[in-house]
Amino acid sequence: MAKVLMKGNEAIGEAAIRAGCLNYFAYPITPQSEVAEYLVRRMPEVGGVFLQGESEVAVGYMLFGAAGAGARVFTTSSSPGISLMSEAISYICGAQCPAVFVNIMRGGPGLGGILPSQGDYFQATKGIGHGDCRLLVMAPASVQEAVEMVMMAFPLAEKYRNPVMVLGDGLIGQMMEPVAFPDHLKTEPSNKDAWSSNGMDHRGSQTRNLVRSLFLDPTVLNDNNLALKAKYDRMRAEEVRSEAYNIDGDYQCLIVSYGTMSRVCRTAIDMLKAEGIEVGMIRPQTLFPFPEEAVGEAASKASCKHVVSIEMSMGQMVEDVALSVLGRVPVSWYGKCGGEIPTPEEIIGVVKARIAGKE
Amino acid sequence: MALELKLSGIVFLVGAYGSGKTEVAINLAVYMNAKDVPVRVADLDLVNPYFRTREARHVLGQLGIDLVLPPAQYMQADLPILTPAVSGMLRQPTGLTLLDVGGDDVGATVLAALADAVKGQSVEVFQVINPHRPYTETIAGCLQIKAAIEAKAKMPITGIVGNANLMEDTTAEHLLAGHDFALQVAEAAQVPLAFITAPMGLLTQLDKRDMQCPILPLRRQLVPPWKQPETFGPAV
Repeated sequence: MAKVLMKGNEAIGEAAIRAGCLNYFAYPITPQSEVAEYLVRRMPEVGGVFLQGESEVAVGYMLFGAAGAGARVFTTSSSPGISLMSEAISYICGAQCPAVFVNIMRGGPGLGGILPSQGDYFQATKGIGHGDCRLLVMAPASVQEAVEMVMMAFPLAEKYRNPVMVLGDGLIGQMMEPVAFPDHLKTEPSNKDAWSSNGMDHRGSQTRNLVRSLFLDPTVLNDNNLALKAKYDRMRAEEVRSEAYNIDGDYQCLIVSYGTMSRVCRTAIDMLKAEGIEVGMIRPQTLFPFPEEAVGEAASKASCKHVVSIEMSMGQMVEDVALSVLGRVPVSWYGKCGGEIPTPEEIIGVVKARIAGKE
Repeated sequence: MALELKLSGIVFLVGAYGSGKTEVAINLAVYMNAKDVPVRVADLDLVNPYFRTREARHVLGQLGIDLVLPPAQYMQADLPILTPAVSGMLRQPTGLTLLDVGGDDVGATVLAALADAVKGQSVEVFQVINPHRPYTETIAGCLQIKAAIEAKAKMPITGIVGNANLMEDTTAEHLLAGHDFALQVAEAAQVPLAFITAPMGLLTQLDKRDMQCPILPLRRQLVPPWKQPETFGPAV
């Protein structure tokens, strides 16, 4: 298919349709409302459904209900809206149902602001819901990658019977880039017979699938959590993704950065290279599981004296970076939030200071 | 050679969401300003949270182009703020008064509120089209959004602006095909093709063929933070 010029939010909506998802429930919030605006028009064209819930709390449970009934389903929101959905996300994890959540992050805490942020890193990777609940989290750095990740999210959610989150900052949703989609709609059947509450006739089974997250027997609850842990361990083994940039040279400083922030870092790295200063970068594409090995290995290079995590937050991913580097070299953080995005020039200043041994 | 771009009076830029109105508005303001036409611009985008004319306020200010914006404390709010200064500038237009309107019929609703201010004056309402955007890749699609905008704006569209582009992936072929497409839309809509746009870097490749309309050279201003806006050089 020829390329089209799309806003990230529009492209995310189209990507879900191409992944065979015809059920979209959402509640508008800046800076992701264009997903709903696009799909309110597009879903009826492909026989799909867009239903606006009365709140994000309702939307979370609409996803739970649809997923429990075996439907491929997704929603999009932005930071405060995801907080409201987080209870349902924990229930969906506990009940082992698949669903896809897209968070186009804005500034926080609270209502924060409407400009780009990466302040929901902790929430997405560690604290999305109560209990031993985790999401597989992917972070796109371009509109094209957002499309690819949304399309990957549905089969991954079904593979693990677990919610998957695509975590983009506000820029991913709002910026326009040329983007290509696969020609055909993806229509692979899901493995819903394993969990779906309906379809007994079709699967010729006498055993009911129970969709539940309540397990009053402590042994059964422990077993359910062991099953969840086994899935999270399998994600760590099979789903880690990252991209390396400029790591062939003898860099003294390694940047770890994700999302659109990494593109600013890439520009800074190119500018530093022109000055004769080598800086490498690891860009995590999955945030959970975190690319510990890739970061650890890149930090272990003999020339590398410092690792800096550059984020549009007050220092969240830096904790995972430090856990990956394991004290081999100093790790520090640089970032801004509230919608101000560090410029290439600022990053150059930070990198030079770190190389000179200043924090 | 393409025709010379001449514009004065009040010009509203409308169009489908994401058709490139703001990039066109900024470049058109700078282009006409360089031709010694006094230019005033108003950011009437009440629907878009990012990438608005206000992002270019500094570059426009340096060139002496007056930009009417919502009050500074509300600049980053996603609230539909229509400052009274807009109707003021419409009642006393000088040179070129350019209004960058929000996308789709929703964004154009604001025009109906300005009908009194423009009564009895020379007003152009240009529809910006980009065939590489969803829903405006066909003539029917462009006419559909035209009708929807006219219904909400309560003003007729008086010209088409061809803004065929895929941003950095744009080629001369896209521009030539885009020119033909814009001409067809203008004919179907029974309005003139006001002008087309072309990135500065591709301008020389366009001289090979006679264009049936003026060309506005584009230097991209609305860029993400890892790119530099193109600098405005001397007029072409």
